Amino acid sequence: MTRITLTVNGTKVTREVAPRTNLADFLREDLVLTGTHVGCEHGICGACTVVIDGEIARSCITYAVTCDGAEIRTIEDFDDDPLMKKLRHAFSAEHALQCGYCTPGMLVAARDLVRRGAARDEDAIRVGMSGNLCRCTGYVGIVKAIAAVACDHEVSEKTAVSADALGPAPGPAAQDSLRETRGNVTSPAQKEQRAARAAAPTLASPSGMNVQTGEITQDGSFTKLTQTITVNHPRDAVWNLMADIEKVATCMPGVSLDGPARDGHVDGRMLVKLGPINADLKGEADVTRDADNWRGVIDGKGRDARSASLARGRVEYELTETDDGKGTLIAVSIAYSLAGPLAQFSRGAIVRNLVNRLAGAFAQNLEAKLEGRDVEQGAQALNAGSLVLSVLWDRLRSFFTRLFGRKPG
Amino acid sequence: MKPVAFDYARPRSIAEALETLDAQPGAKILAGGQTLGPMLNLRLVQPDMLIDITRIPELTAVQETGDGVAIGACVTHASIEDGAVTGTANGYLDRVASGIAYRAVRTRGTIGGSLSHADPAADWLAALLALAAELEIAGGSGMRRAALDDFVKGAMETALGTAELVVAIRIAKRGPKARYGYHKICRKTGEFAEAIGAVATDHEAGYFRLVAAGGSHAPVVFTDPRELFKEADPTDARGFDVDMAANALADAGMAADDYDLSLRAIVMQRAIQEAAGQ
Repeated sequence: MTRITLTVNGTKVTREVAPRTNLADFLREDLVLTGTHVGCEHGICGACTVVIDGEIARSCITYAVTCDGAEIRTIEDFDDDPLMKKLRHAFSAEHALQCGYCTPGMLVAARDLVRRGAARDEDAIRVGMSGNLCRCTGYVGIVKAIAAVACDHEVSEKTAVSADALGPAPGPAAQDSLRETRGNVTSPAQKEQRAARAAAPTLASPSGMNVQTGEITQDGSFTKLTQTITVNHPRDAVWNLMADIEKVATCMPGVSLDGPARDGHVDGRMLVKLGPINADLKGEADVTRDADNWRGVIDGKGRDARSASLARGRVEYELTETDDGKGTLIAVSIAYSLAGPLAQFSRGAIVRNLVNRLAGAFAQNLEAKLEGRDVEQGAQALNAGSLVLSVLWDRLRSFFTRLFGRKPG
Repeated sequence: MKPVAFDYARPRSIAEALETLDAQPGAKILAGGQTLGPMLNLRLVQPDMLIDITRIPELTAVQETGDGVAIGACVTHASIEDGAVTGTANGYLDRVASGIAYRAVRTRGTIGGSLSHADPAADWLAALLALAAELEIAGGSGMRRAALDDFVKGAMETALGTAELVVAIRIAKRGPKARYGYHKICRKTGEFAEAIGAVATDHEAGYFRLVAAGGSHAPVVFTDPRELFKEADPTDARGFDVDMAANALADAGMAADDYDLSLRAIVMQRAIQEAAGQ
């Protein structure tokens, strides 16, 4: 627990808080100021909007401990505020609320909009209020109410930028009651994960390999993408390598198996790093092969216990001979779906890029294996996007060289 | 929807912050927390400690340097929106800042935090790539400078070392003829953009950078985009060849479909129109 001292609605309070307690919970549960509502709890809906040192903020993604020394105003503090009085009457007159859940946040945000002189017209009000969601009114009444107040409000309190308070409130000048932090709370699982994180990803360099990505389509909750990989090795060699599940697994960045495969079934895990997110998918996979048609299917699923997210994937491949039997074309189709917080947060396209890149890295490693080169064993997590921009630069350079006979900048 | 338990440290100097960061490999920097907060609440990020750097005086100041400005990493979008950065880029930064998320997010979200998170759809990344911004980075072996082009490695990946910290963003002053344009398309106001076009020109000085960003694709920077104009005059937006620009993006490796590519080409065109006052 950490001791903080802050001013809430004009009263100085000192409390012990856990660093993870957000300001909304602190206000509602420790100070019983339940006018501040908690809607989405991840900074989308605006119901929890309060004022910190004169500026509005979302109290669900602001931690109470960071407000040590700050001045907080909640909806309860605006009873006698002249501008808020006008807004309350206008909200009532224009039927700007129904269930009232969003209203405290709406009022705090609307007052700030009018105060800053940013409620110039209907468009500006709609844009300015777009961070506050209402599921009852359809916004028409809310916009009308704010417009009615804004048109006869003289902006006197215009925000002045003061050179020493340019960061998030309360800033460097604030009083500081931070005494101590608790001891290290690192769990064995976190340590293990950290060690895995430290293992750098390695990608074997490609040689004569060609990877083409086809169209990406959506089928219900499944995203499907296809890749064709051309390798300079005969079909038999590729087919035989693909028979060895353990070898194939080492080609996939971040994958490690718990033990040898039994009847085409394996248990294992896959580490995926996406910026600050580290997903550790524990799960299983089943492999079936159709030797007559040079086809195979890998069905897998995994669960990240920490975020309670689920991932499912199905990889189908088919081998065809190319280059008079000297090469092989591997047609791969990948279908995957994500569920849980991971899916909720990650934008689809970022995950698509990641899967695409994982598939590309897999192909490179496969090529390395076919040539008898080593791929680093074990849990090598591929950093999403770690290669993207350099690839772009290189390709951009070649584009310009080809097109204009010179390189950019 | 509650984060895991974590420790909290509030260093008062850059040196103290680096020391703490070095001693705590499982720590995350908190520079405003408007992206990290949601990730913490969803437990997608589970740090051992948050190191709150918003009370380090050097990080919350804007300084005029001889050849430009240095914006402290913890300066909020709202401060920039309200005019904290003067003397560079003709109000371009103010306007970009005013379009980031929502006011209640801009009052706590910071420019350095945004760049360190490196979301490919974030406004600052695109806007500052057009300005050829540089980052000042503090680490165990002292300060270093990095061009933003080299700093961002892709979606949510940067060249920041584990015990390093972005201290300031440096933007060079341009001549009186310099012009800037910024345009983005969002499904909903305040959401991450689907497509962003950003441009900065100072033709007298031979400076011309055009950026296509947004969505999940790594941004593409054209450091000399004159070839994308049908006519030789790059100050005339009417000469900008949208089809050629879309092809150039595809050829640059942007694995987007035709719709996404043309969307990007068109926002680039609008940014150029804005810069040209057309």
